[in-house]
Amino acid sequence: MPAILTNGVRLHLVELGAGPPVVMLHGLLVGNLATWYLTAAPALSRSHRVLVYDLRGHGRSERPPTGYDVPTMVDDLRGLLDRCVPGQPVDLVGHSYGALIALQLALDAPARVRRLALVEAPLAPSDTRALTAWLDRPPDALVRALPAALQADLARGGRRARRLLASLQALATETTVLSDIAAQQEVPDARLASLSCPLLAVYGRASSCRPHADRLRRLLPAARVAELDGGHYLPLDAPAELTALLEEFLRG
Amino acid sequence: MASAAPDRDPTAVLDTVARLLREVIGEDWVDEVEITMDTSFSDDLELESIEFVALAEQLQETYGDRVDFVGWLSSMDLDEIIGLRVGQLVDFIVQCPPS
Repeated sequence: MPAILTNGVRLHLVELGAGPPVVMLHGLLVGNLATWYLTAAPALSRSHRVLVYDLRGHGRSERPPTGYDVPTMVDDLRGLLDRCVPGQPVDLVGHSYGALIALQLALDAPARVRRLALVEAPLAPSDTRALTAWLDRPPDALVRALPAALQADLARGGRRARRLLASLQALATETTVLSDIAAQQEVPDARLASLSCPLLAVYGRASSCRPHADRLRRLLPAARVAELDGGHYLPLDAPAELTALLEEFLRG
Repeated sequence: MASAAPDRDPTAVLDTVARLLREVIGEDWVDEVEITMDTSFSDDLELESIEFVALAEQLQETYGDRVDFVGWLSSMDLDEIIGLRVGQLVDFIVQCPPS
């Protein structure tokens, strides 16, 4: 299993294909690199070198007790880029919290990011509070907010359900992930508007994040902002449509 | 008549896939389970998506460039990948041309 040590943490990394480099980041808690490996990554790897990795605490990466804030996870990504694609700008694709990490690197280090694709980026000021409020919902509502496949796993009550719950429990009780999410600062309008690379932003029509599409249209008129049928877990809800958008955006 | 090379013999490939599956799952119960061509990754083994990726990595390492797993996955949609049976994976490995 390929792994690299970056920023003091061992991260599980998989590389596919050859060509201009694309790094894909998944979302927190129920995400891992399979979010992309089983959806858009194989198609993109026909024309790109695609790097997918498990964020700290997720999938088959190490689970340190701290460092789930965006700046630390941007440092993880910087270390990965230094090791795997030194001195070369990359395309970044991020889902959910992974989109916030990708966006932050593009704002902090514009020379390192060629193009940026944000999928269901939670960009409204209220959203970090919404994320923690999410956990105060009644259990039924919590379950309905999960990807359909995970809802089916939970209903089945088998091995995958046990492992999912064990992994969530470990993240919630042995790490600072929830307080790090809650402390996440919003990206101010002026800072967001300073983004200099080409941007694709994709939202699900049924997602609570959908209003952020309008914020991006207002602040970054040159961006391509698209909406697809689906909810927050767009890579799983609309894999073919999302893959087609990413292929078109990352062409050439 | 010469038999197929081990990396293209269906019985040998099934043995390899079953061994790697047991390693990836890494839990005691799976040693007692018979893994056949008809075994479903999702329904029978309840393989997690990240474990499926780990299996694909192990198979790529075992069979090398002869077998293009990523190209194969890119020809399927997510539901097809989730619905895969061990036999479909074995057949794919067997039918890939020698390098």
